Amino acid sequence: MLLENMKMALSSLRANKLRSILTMLGIIIGIGSVISIVSIGDTMRKMFSDLYKNVGVTQAAIMINPYMDQEEIRDSDFFTMDELYKMKEVFGNRLDYVDNMSSGSIDIKNGLNRLKTNIEGVDSPYQKLQPVQILNGRYISANDVEERRAVILISESTALKLYGTVNATGKHFRSDIMGENREFSIIGVYRKDISPIQKLLMGSNDKNGEGIVPWTLFSPESSEFSMIRYYGKTGMSEQEMKQLNTEIKAYFSKIKNRQPSDWYISSIQDEMKQVDGVMGGISAAVGGIAAISLLVGGIGIMNIMLVSVTERTREIGIRKALGASTGDILVQFLTESALLSALGGLIGVLLAMGLVSLGATAFGLSVVIRPGIILVAVLFSAIVGIFFGIYPANKAAKEDPIVALRYE
Amino acid sequence: MEDTLIELRNLVKIYDTGAVKVLGLNQINLKIKRGEFVAIMGQSGSGKSTLMNILGCLDKPSLGNYFLDGEDVAAMDPNTLNKVRNQKIGFVFQSFNLISRMSALKNVEIPMIYAHIRSQKQRSERAAMLLEKVGLSGRIHHQPNEMSGGQRQRVAIARALANEPPLILADEPTGNLDTASSIEIMEMFSALHKAGATVVVVTHEENIAAYTDRMLRFSDGKLISDIKNENPTPVRDLAIFEGMYRGGNHAS
Repeated sequence: MLLENMKMALSSLRANKLRSILTMLGIIIGIGSVISIVSIGDTMRKMFSDLYKNVGVTQAAIMINPYMDQEEIRDSDFFTMDELYKMKEVFGNRLDYVDNMSSGSIDIKNGLNRLKTNIEGVDSPYQKLQPVQILNGRYISANDVEERRAVILISESTALKLYGTVNATGKHFRSDIMGENREFSIIGVYRKDISPIQKLLMGSNDKNGEGIVPWTLFSPESSEFSMIRYYGKTGMSEQEMKQLNTEIKAYFSKIKNRQPSDWYISSIQDEMKQVDGVMGGISAAVGGIAAISLLVGGIGIMNIMLVSVTERTREIGIRKALGASTGDILVQFLTESALLSALGGLIGVLLAMGLVSLGATAFGLSVVIRPGIILVAVLFSAIVGIFFGIYPANKAAKEDPIVALRYE
Repeated sequence: MEDTLIELRNLVKIYDTGAVKVLGLNQINLKIKRGEFVAIMGQSGSGKSTLMNILGCLDKPSLGNYFLDGEDVAAMDPNTLNKVRNQKIGFVFQSFNLISRMSALKNVEIPMIYAHIRSQKQRSERAAMLLEKVGLSGRIHHQPNEMSGGQRQRVAIARALANEPPLILADEPTGNLDTASSIEIMEMFSALHKAGATVVVVTHEENIAAYTDRMLRFSDGKLISDIKNENPTPVRDLAIFEGMYRGGNHAS
């Protein structure tokens, strides 16, 4: 009987093709926009989480609580090189990497070419955590770091701007760094792969050059700094990372005579959670607004079903005379509105998937479309169809066969 | 098997229009035996349409009893009446009442669909068989608008026979047909009658009523005469429905 009803519904939808399609449009747009927005949201979340994965999910940094009153901050709240090395020793078995997250800028001159270059100070194992592609030359070595050598890797575009070639390894220039004028030698040229949208979000400045130097260049033995950056061992669980953070707080509380709450740890994990929460909220809110168009679509279905019931009054009369029960007529019209709506939903979700994939491909992102969403969308729109079909179907079912048979 | 198919006892139908009450049928007492071929006659307003609606279980009497095949239909609720219509009655209407966007075959299948007993294959086989019997074997996939009036009415007859109902109820079946088609249709009713079906034809035309064995005349909601027709209009002896109604007699 259900099959029979489906066939009947299909044939009556086919009988009014244009009308059926126009009616479906409401549902197509409704489902299409909900699915698009949810998928865009999911894709953005994925993008952010990938972005953080690039930074390293086990990355964290400890510093004195930035919300503390200025007067309360003591000289001893700053970290020294000794303290950094000590910490590396104490927690070494659980750490992949430690530095003081230093960066700055230098001027590189090559004849008349002069380029302000942002430099980042890193330790040699950093290449394992945040790999860059070495086009020529080599990465920073442990000796470079230990001996505070004035060596630098420059980015591909920096090399091109300054020397007109990527083969800049072996070039030299003089520049001031931390108040010293030093002779730098370029030990390598690298390329960092980032997607256009990542570039947009990170606000990378194309005008300036980019380079990587040993972090110790910024930090003479006597230097003091406000934060220590560290990476937990790769593959550490969220729980293990939390534990490590707590222990590091306790460690510095003890040696610096502070409360653990006086320290602030900025961790990628926490940031990820925050961003995820915000993105989820935005998705839900916009999705809710899009859902209103589903309501409008549903009303469209109700409207057209009412027209259809009126047009087919006589058919209803005939069917009743031939033995159709009220239930039979009800189910017939409900099947029709459910099918109309479900078809709209199917088209909508396919359309949305196509559009989202297209957009994501254009931005170089990997699309996230939740599995099973087609089924959910089709089922949900069928439910919308049934809900809005109840009134017209009920009206049809209640027709008096005598009156209906006489209807012209 | 009960010999009486239809029995009306003091049947009254009152139309309550709010301001006035109109007596549609006034204390009708009537028995129709299984296998009879009966004409219900009268001018418009005589009450014959009202009677037709009640006999067809499309409407319920205000007072009195209507026994159809031994059951008091007057006491039934609408959700049982649809089953009675489906199983006991085959309708043939003046305006054919076929569903226009469905083929002849599909139209004939409808009563079987609502009977919920046959499979899709059985249904379409039976529908094709019935269409063949009414001489439309070449047109089973045609839609009603591709057929003549006479052909449409033959589809309607095939549809009426779908669930093999004891009662065939025809409401002005020739009202929209030319003379040749009218004769064709009445011959078919005669053949059905011969095969054992009980056929009731509502008409206002004497020459149509003349095909039947018994004429019931109505006027002002009352049964005014009940005459046996000794000399029905002779028809070709069609044996097309032979064997369809098991236990059918040749009452004349």
